[in-house]
Amino acid sequence: MRLRVNLVMGGALFALAVGAAVLAPLIATHHPFLDANLMNSELPPGSEYLLGTDKQGRDIYSRIVWGAQISLMVGVVSQLINTVIGTMLGLTGGYWGGKWDDFVSGLTNLMLSIPSLIFALAIIAVLGRGLMSLLIALGLTNWSFTCRIARASALSLKSQGYVQAAKTLGYSDMRIMLTQLLPNMVGPIIVIGTLGMGGAILAEAALSFLGLGVQPPWPSWGSMLSDARDAIITGQVWIPLFPGLAIFFTVLGLNLLGDGLRDVLDPQSKVRSA
Amino acid sequence: MIKKIALAAVTLALVGVAADAQTTTPRKGGTLRMTAPYGTSLSSLDIHTTPRAQDGIVAKLIHRSLYKWDTAANKPVVELATSVTVSNGGLTHTYKLRDDAVFHNGRKMTADDIIFSYTRIMDGSKGYPGARWIRNIKGAVDVEKNQAKEISGLRKIDDGTLEITLNEKIEPGFALMADTTSILAKENIESGNITSNPVGLGPFKFKEHLPGSRLVAERWDKFYKPGQPYLDRVFVLVMGEASARDVAFRNNEIDLSILGPAQYLAYKNDPDLQKGVFEVAEVFTRNMGMNPAHKPFADKRVRQAINHAIDTDLVVKRLSKEKAYRATSWLPLTSPAYDKALKPYAYDPEKAKKLLAEAGYPNGFEFEWMTSQNESWGLPIVEGVLPMLDKVGIKAKVRLVEAAVLTEVIPKGDYQAYLWSNATGPDPLAALKCYHSQTPRTACNYVGFNNTDYDKLVDAAGAADDPAKRLDLMKQANAMLYEEAPVWFFNYNKAVMAYQPWVHGLQPNATELTHQYGEDLWVDEKSPVAK
Amino acid sequence: MLLLTLRRLAQMIPTVAAVVLTIFVLFSVVPGSIASSMFDDGRGMDPQVMERKRKELGLDKPIHQRFVDYVGKLATGDLGRSFKYDVPVTQVLADRMGPSLKLTLAAMAFAIVIGIPLGFFAALKPGSLGDFGTMVAAVSGLSLPKFWLGLMLAYLFALQLKWLPSFGYGDGGLRYLILPAVTLGVSPMALFARTTRAAVLEIMNADFVRTARSKGMGEVRVVSWHVARNVLVLVLTAVGLQFGALLSQAVVVEQVFSWPGLGSLLISSINDRDIPAVQGCILVIVLFFLAINAAVDVAYSLIDPRIRYG
Repeated sequence: MRLRVNLVMGGALFALAVGAAVLAPLIATHHPFLDANLMNSELPPGSEYLLGTDKQGRDIYSRIVWGAQISLMVGVVSQLINTVIGTMLGLTGGYWGGKWDDFVSGLTNLMLSIPSLIFALAIIAVLGRGLMSLLIALGLTNWSFTCRIARASALSLKSQGYVQAAKTLGYSDMRIMLTQLLPNMVGPIIVIGTLGMGGAILAEAALSFLGLGVQPPWPSWGSMLSDARDAIITGQVWIPLFPGLAIFFTVLGLNLLGDGLRDVLDPQSKVRSA
Repeated sequence: MIKKIALAAVTLALVGVAADAQTTTPRKGGTLRMTAPYGTSLSSLDIHTTPRAQDGIVAKLIHRSLYKWDTAANKPVVELATSVTVSNGGLTHTYKLRDDAVFHNGRKMTADDIIFSYTRIMDGSKGYPGARWIRNIKGAVDVEKNQAKEISGLRKIDDGTLEITLNEKIEPGFALMADTTSILAKENIESGNITSNPVGLGPFKFKEHLPGSRLVAERWDKFYKPGQPYLDRVFVLVMGEASARDVAFRNNEIDLSILGPAQYLAYKNDPDLQKGVFEVAEVFTRNMGMNPAHKPFADKRVRQAINHAIDTDLVVKRLSKEKAYRATSWLPLTSPAYDKALKPYAYDPEKAKKLLAEAGYPNGFEFEWMTSQNESWGLPIVEGVLPMLDKVGIKAKVRLVEAAVLTEVIPKGDYQAYLWSNATGPDPLAALKCYHSQTPRTACNYVGFNNTDYDKLVDAAGAADDPAKRLDLMKQANAMLYEEAPVWFFNYNKAVMAYQPWVHGLQPNATELTHQYGEDLWVDEKSPVAK
Repeated sequence: MLLLTLRRLAQMIPTVAAVVLTIFVLFSVVPGSIASSMFDDGRGMDPQVMERKRKELGLDKPIHQRFVDYVGKLATGDLGRSFKYDVPVTQVLADRMGPSLKLTLAAMAFAIVIGIPLGFFAALKPGSLGDFGTMVAAVSGLSLPKFWLGLMLAYLFALQLKWLPSFGYGDGGLRYLILPAVTLGVSPMALFARTTRAAVLEIMNADFVRTARSKGMGEVRVVSWHVARNVLVLVLTAVGLQFGALLSQAVVVEQVFSWPGLGSLLISSINDRDIPAVQGCILVIVLFFLAINAAVDVAYSLIDPRIRYG
């Protein structure tokens, strides 16, 4: 029963966020940063500006909706990068074994030794700010878990009968990995990927808050929060409240979705980490 | 004659009584909790090594320089000397030093200490920021280049008399009041203790420093002003976040707090807090520098167009929350050479479009605007101005960098436009000299301004002996800058400090409001740390 | 056990070496020189002065030379001199370690003390309203952006209710620690709650527990001994893993509360381009994390003698 609730609620929230992102040009009421009028700065939610305006007189609702594009894109793309890297390394490491596996294991341990936000900070400090740096930084910091799963799966599966059969039939390693092994580990990988997306969105928000994330003037939910730090004191609570809620509900949706997917795809999961 | 004296005496007495009735006597004792709002730490306890405003807060408590800034008269006055005589056509200044200035380690100050400090600063291998001030003394450059061991322009007549000869006829007070020229003790430096346990001539002596958090200083009983300092102790709390300071101030955890624009508004509207808001026009001009190397900016009409296209008053009202004064030209409000008759650029987008068309850009153009995260002259301002420029066809691309990068890249000329805050005082001539063609970009001519007529005006002002003539020439130069518009004139800083009702003795320091000379501050019994 | 400890410590060495190399390489590529961090008053700078500083700091030597120097100094415990503060990096780090440790340990303590019992409570009555409520709260706790939570908590408890101070380290007293620790501890707490609940449920249904029950051991004994011990193993993994995340997230929390720890040092050093400080900071954080992991592994062997590392 629970798993249905998770899937439904999570799926709905996530779909809402994706819908907002995709439909942004249609459902936004104003341009996210050029349609700004200082005369209208810091207005509370009303009929013209659905969720109020920020310090520069920009419509918060439109910025949240456009910001969904950036925040979600960063979350999805960086997690995709992580998943691809992790799966490839883990799969090949577990299947081929030997020196390559040692290298992969060592690399994984190394990555697990560096706290991810710190590593992302370091990469951004080196590459400079910007969307590319952000994607690279986030894309390189979260693949270790996926790698471990893929590797463990590959190790346990490679001695299975059908895999051995495929080998004797002369299938290439690549073919075996992609067609025999990969489909069997898809479940846990999807679960981790979904949960990882939530983490990536939170990480993007944190980095933008620190001023190291998405570059202005295009909004991201994290940068909207960073702009709004003072607004709480002067009582314009809507300025930080709505972007914060947007992050919260989207990540919540992803977390619920991930949980629900785990219950469906991977009920024996030994990895109850997230 | 007797009558005159009697009259004077009576007047004085009356004035004295009236004054007494108005002022309260400073109370001795208690602790003051100041905040250092310009970052997450203090740079160094060795004041010679850092020019940061953040460290200057501590310097005003623990150290002294030869001159001090008179906050009421807005000019430098000699501090570590009882008198100064000028001779040799204004080049030589002879100081009769105080004989009651004692270092925190108990030793009296002599002329040797001043010579030692200034010579240390000119050590060419170290790159001390104070060098730019001491270089005004004859022979200093030779020490910097390692061609001499001593500064020839510094001559000790005796322990209590020092003669300083300058390179040109300027008022030395502007240079020698800088914290980076503080008089330090040789033994404190040579023992290496200066960075952990600094010794100075100021009213408070160093007690402890918890990096990233706070510094504590205690009353120096042997300070040369009798009865001062009043406070027992001063805490300097490092708090870079305006919102954090705000909450702490309302909780009575701190006594002084610099307000950002958002808090300024909130405090002014709060019936309790508004009584404790201290405003001073500071000597900083915020501006958008335009690099003539980027073709559109080479044309004066384009620069003027930008000044017309931006509704600067609205930006000052909405984004700066009135915590700034609309800028007219380069020199700030408090400058003696500020011309009240000069009207700032009018908000006129139509005129802007016309000027752009005349200059050959009827459809506008693009440029990259470099800025930092600063809330008063950084990203929020750029984001607010973007739509205004867009309306006249100018597309600005934002490039966000750290403040440290600005300081590095701009003097190299490696930018198209920047938003920055520059010191334009307290010496008006120095501020105007920035636009002299001989001034390199690395000094302060950040936009590489080059105009022969302007150079002539500034040179004439420097050579003028008659102060009225000097002032007039400076006003003309300032007006020419207005016309040439090398930058978008944004605003002059209004420094605002919130203070608790029990704090007294605050000085309206236009050079930097957080720099309070510690000996004049005191707290009354209402302070929670009055004991 | 001693052998195990030594072996684990030895295993750390290649990892540390790799981290040092990675960090050094990363940061030697950083564009822009450091000199600007020392003269940022916007009043103009002396190019001669900047050039001299560069030479003094050895930044004009080729990279392999700099790396060799760096490693050589590391071996003697010299992490270089901070560009900005002009004191040894070790000193700068030492000053910030105390607050960082306090914050991390307090947050972890909060998370463990609240999270684990919550998880137990939820697991003992699966499917109940209490279980559902707890789990919803837990998943929400994992979805909150920390800085937002921190700001809201500061607003509520410090500004509105005036119960707690809003910022900073103060005199090091407990009052200042509460809000930052809670903000930092919320998501590990949520994680522990979920992990504990899952672990307890899994083990309650495990064969050996059923066997023990069928043998007639008292319910309480069953739960407290077998279950607890096995749960502890699984939870310990989570704790070890969380420490790394905690150290990362502390960076953001320290910014919000002006907490003078390694995290805020890292941010300000990156902004100031104070490379030695950044390198030193990251090194310390990583070492700390590795040490925790090693400690967790050793603790495993104490709890469950069946677990051995070959």
